[in-house]
Amino acid sequence: MAQPTLDCRGLRKVFGDLVAVDDVGFHIDAGETYGLLGPNGAGKTTSISMISGLLKRDGGSITVDGEEMTTINLAAKALIGLVPQDIAVYPDLTARENLVFFGKLYGMSGKALQSRVDEVLEIIGLADRAGDRSDDFSGGMKRRLNIGIGLLHKPNLLILDEPTVGVDPQSRNAILESVEQLSSAGMAVLYTTHYMEEAERLCDRVGIIDHGVIKAEGTRRELVQMVGEHDRIRLETTSGGLQSAVAALSELPSVVEAGAGDGLIELLVTEAGEHLTKILSIVTEAGVAVAGVDIDEPNLESVFLHLTGRALRD
Amino acid sequence: MKSLTIAATNLRRFIRDRGNIFFVFIFPMLLVLVLGASFGGDFNARLAVVTEPGGDLADDLVTRLEAIETVNVVSVATEEAAVRGVERGELEAALFIPADYDESITAGTPVNVQFLSRSGQEGNSLRSNIESAITQQAVVLRAARFSESEGLATFTEALAVAGQAEANIGPVNVEVTALGEAFSLDLLGQFDSSAQTQLLLFVFLTSLAGSAALIQTRRLGVAKRMIATPTSVRDVLLGEGFGRFLVALVQGLFIMIGTWLIFGVDWGDPLLATLILLLFSLVGSGAAMLMGSLFSNDEQAGGMGVLFGLGLAALGGCMVPLQVFELISPGLYNVAHITPHAWGLEAFDSIVLSNGTIGDIAVFLAILAGYALVFYALAIWRLRVVLTR
Repeated sequence: MAQPTLDCRGLRKVFGDLVAVDDVGFHIDAGETYGLLGPNGAGKTTSISMISGLLKRDGGSITVDGEEMTTINLAAKALIGLVPQDIAVYPDLTARENLVFFGKLYGMSGKALQSRVDEVLEIIGLADRAGDRSDDFSGGMKRRLNIGIGLLHKPNLLILDEPTVGVDPQSRNAILESVEQLSSAGMAVLYTTHYMEEAERLCDRVGIIDHGVIKAEGTRRELVQMVGEHDRIRLETTSGGLQSAVAALSELPSVVEAGAGDGLIELLVTEAGEHLTKILSIVTEAGVAVAGVDIDEPNLESVFLHLTGRALRD
Repeated sequence: MKSLTIAATNLRRFIRDRGNIFFVFIFPMLLVLVLGASFGGDFNARLAVVTEPGGDLADDLVTRLEAIETVNVVSVATEEAAVRGVERGELEAALFIPADYDESITAGTPVNVQFLSRSGQEGNSLRSNIESAITQQAVVLRAARFSESEGLATFTEALAVAGQAEANIGPVNVEVTALGEAFSLDLLGQFDSSAQTQLLLFVFLTSLAGSAALIQTRRLGVAKRMIATPTSVRDVLLGEGFGRFLVALVQGLFIMIGTWLIFGVDWGDPLLATLILLLFSLVGSGAAMLMGSLFSNDEQAGGMGVLFGLGLAALGGCMVPLQVFELISPGLYNVAHITPHAWGLEAFDSIVLSNGTIGDIAVFLAILAGYALVFYALAIWRLRVVLTR
């Protein structure tokens, strides 16, 4: 079995009486995007700070490509690219100057550095603004520059801590597309967010974290099944015997619950997409005319709510 | 190498801020000029003389006063103007020679001159000079009076002969040898003392301003991001400190070369002077890095930097000479040596006043190096705690 790019186990961090992170563990393989999903204050940034060697851990282990991460192990730090939540660039330097500065700190120099800076400027869409000071940039452009710095040295593991906070929808989409491309190119990505839709779009696997503890982990489907959530199908009807249709639908193994009223048939089913054709066929056979279909699949928001008893944005 | 990258970036950012150019290069030179012109070592007391024109003996007394090297005689028309000048501090003292000065002396009747001065040592010194000039004139007058009384000549004729005789008598020079350490201001040029003190004051003050730059780097998250790269906390701090050290060093060299060229300031052996400056710049940048790692608010650090910068400069002899401290209280003189400024000034005094060699200032240099080492070590420890806790 191949060694994971990131392997962290039993991470623990205590600030005074507050246990910020407790027994957090997960791994990320090359080419995989792992999402750490949780509300503000859940322990995401603390976990990332330990993983990127910024913060001493009180317990647990972290290895990046087999190299143990500590606050002083520079070899391990060379393997990761960190994109912090705050825009950590010099405002009075240009985009190019910021990239060159951090490129040198990553050990790059000469033509290789200049060439890579040009590449990154293209990736983040700032090639035409390379000579402008970053304090003249919009929020979205600053965010893209912030990400660009983390990409400079082509890290094995890219860590993005809430990279889309406060950006416009266009820049946000550009950032998400960039992350998808990097993951496709084989980079391992650790992505923290409290935006459920970002985690669903980008992440192969998701760890749901709350109060410093990973509550559950897996693919979206696994998480949904883990908490016993079902798809909801709502059929809008115009005529026919609703009760007989409901009785017939209740016989299906995939239908967990069925009901009718006010011209609507409501069903709780497993794998709605797979069984929708069969369901519509039964309803039609029962003499009911269907005017509209609405499918509501459970998402990570509802999983989080189920696991923690509160919404992601609480 | 990474420290140099960080230092170069800091310098670039520093130079881009035009305001820094004024405060680092132009302002100190202006201050040296103003302080040197106001309180420089070539100081002559200004003595106002109020007298009626036409009296030969009164004129002779004024000429004798003008011959005193340390006195600038200023002719003032009225007593009121002279009194006002002394009151305002524009003149150190005034001498009122009565209109009947010549008449009274010729007639052999007593005559009074009035002396008015500001309180303090300067007035006493001027009074001695004036009494000396009057005594010199009195010797000639007595000789003339004696000749007249012996029937050898009229008073006027005898006075002319006595005056010629005085001119032919060689002066008696008094060689003064002072024991103990000399009060050094007299030995320095007009701008020397102010240039040295301003050099140390500004180099330290400019360095301390670097603490705000370090705090800004921390606040922007750039410092954390730097240590997330394969760069050690030590390299980050040395880079930040080195940038500030270079600014301080360049500023110091600018002041040294500028004051030497423009005001003719004597800095002693240029290599030794540069060595003192180099170590003092290290002390300043080390102190700045320590402050930058202790404070988390750059405005707070900026305010404290000015407070510490001026406070330590004042205590260390950059505003009042160390020798004055020594005269006032030996204890105060010892306390002044808590500051690196005092050791820097001692080192400059040694090479400027005594042509001191590297051996003579080795102790001072070692103490300055010790300050720098302690400041940097504490700053690295503190910054590591702050960034990784």
